[in-house]
Amino acid sequence: MNFQKKFASGEFVFLAEMNTPKGVDISEMITNARRIKDRIDGVIIPDMDNGVMRMSALGGAVLMRQQGIETIIHVYGRDRNKMAIQGDILAAHVLGIQGILVVRGEEMASGDHTDARVVDDLDEEGILRAIASLQKGIDLAGFELKGTPKFVTGCTLGPYKDDDGLERVITAAAKKVEAGAGFIVTPPVFDIDRFSILMERLKPLNIPVIPTIFLLKTVGIARYMATYEPGVFISEQTIKRIRQAPDRELECIKIAGETIHALRGIAQGVRIVTLGWEHRLPTILEYAGI
Amino acid sequence: MITAERKPLEEIIEYVRPFGKILLVGCNECVTVCSAGGRKEVGLLSSALQMAFMKEGKMLEIKEMTLERQCDPEYVEELSGHINQVDAVLSMACGCGVQEIAQRYREKPVFPAVNTKFMGASERQGVWSERCQGCGNCLLGLTGGICPVARCSKRLLNGPCGGSTKGKCEINPEIDCAWQLIWDRLKALGQEERYSDIIPAKDWRPSRDGGPRKIIREDLAS
Repeated sequence: MNFQKKFASGEFVFLAEMNTPKGVDISEMITNARRIKDRIDGVIIPDMDNGVMRMSALGGAVLMRQQGIETIIHVYGRDRNKMAIQGDILAAHVLGIQGILVVRGEEMASGDHTDARVVDDLDEEGILRAIASLQKGIDLAGFELKGTPKFVTGCTLGPYKDDDGLERVITAAAKKVEAGAGFIVTPPVFDIDRFSILMERLKPLNIPVIPTIFLLKTVGIARYMATYEPGVFISEQTIKRIRQAPDRELECIKIAGETIHALRGIAQGVRIVTLGWEHRLPTILEYAGI
Repeated sequence: MITAERKPLEEIIEYVRPFGKILLVGCNECVTVCSAGGRKEVGLLSSALQMAFMKEGKMLEIKEMTLERQCDPEYVEELSGHINQVDAVLSMACGCGVQEIAQRYREKPVFPAVNTKFMGASERQGVWSERCQGCGNCLLGLTGGICPVARCSKRLLNGPCGGSTKGKCEINPEIDCAWQLIWDRLKALGQEERYSDIIPAKDWRPSRDGGPRKIIREDLAS
């Protein structure tokens, strides 16, 4: 069953994020994809994740399709104007890509091509409206298309640090839903109780909510996120658990797996982000009981 | 100078329609030079608004002021004695002036009466052309004093596209081909050899692409 049908039927959806290589050696990506192919419902392919130049999401998604894996690609406005975005969206449909996740691109200054020009022709809402228009057979200039694309389109809930911030991102999310988003991906979740409260707040959006499972990897990353990303709420207890574990790497994997397990029955799926550790996805899924 | 054009009257009318008394503020700097928002234009817009509202049987009280520089907090302070007597402010300055008022008088609505256009020069009476995009890393020393970033339609840095005709741009025949101008200028300077210099791909960090910009002069900053 594909993730589109699962979304519609309310079943739990397992999505794994898989980055494209910086270069043309696709062997690692393909190997990692084959390992999880039958255990997940689809992969999400980021585009130039964290502002780092790498093979495009469209290229990566085609590789996944060749492996028989369903795909969702990231689309954002930092690097492409409204013409390029629409052109790629049409190409994505023809190449068999089923889903689009509209995201906000990382600032150019945070990436590895800091001297590049920023486009920002369309924001997230603008891209969602463009997708909605293309699906009705009309482009943004009002011209009729020859054949219309179809996607499951999602958006993200922006990061937030406090209640005020949460209000703002929920208002922004409501606008994105109104513009056509059919599911929403949240920032990383480490605290199930807090997430349950968030779920209540997101209920009025009336779309599937997909929390992000972020593999911490090290105590340093956990500490960094706890300090600089207070919105993700990593407890001291979690940091202590990793620090005191005989195998810290495995402990991080266990935490990710346990969080996925706990979210079943609360959310409508998960997006698992491993940032280069896609080879550890099978172990995470094991600990999640999948 | 920063150039601007007055917004259509209908748009301005809709901004001020909810209010009974407004402060209409011009600026004595760039918008005066380009005849968009100086003392004279403040008077003209004031009359036009009052006539438009009178036709509808509505009274709009307008207090007119023109500041020396609306982008300067020192001059914007001059509005403090008047701001509480009005419901809203209509600014005829560029976007910098409008924002300065918004920042200083946080609880008073402020609306723009002009569209800020570009940094340019006066070609002749009533005609202004774009000259600079404020890219933050000036190339004029390499291109004979003519800017390809601001004046070439395609922002080409290494010679023309080949589409120009008789020195005019293929995209807009009313615009000079920047690279024709650069070539003519290099020839006049006897520096034709510079035409074959390769200008590397531009670093856009000093431009707006690196985020909103700020200049801090440590020797002057208080």
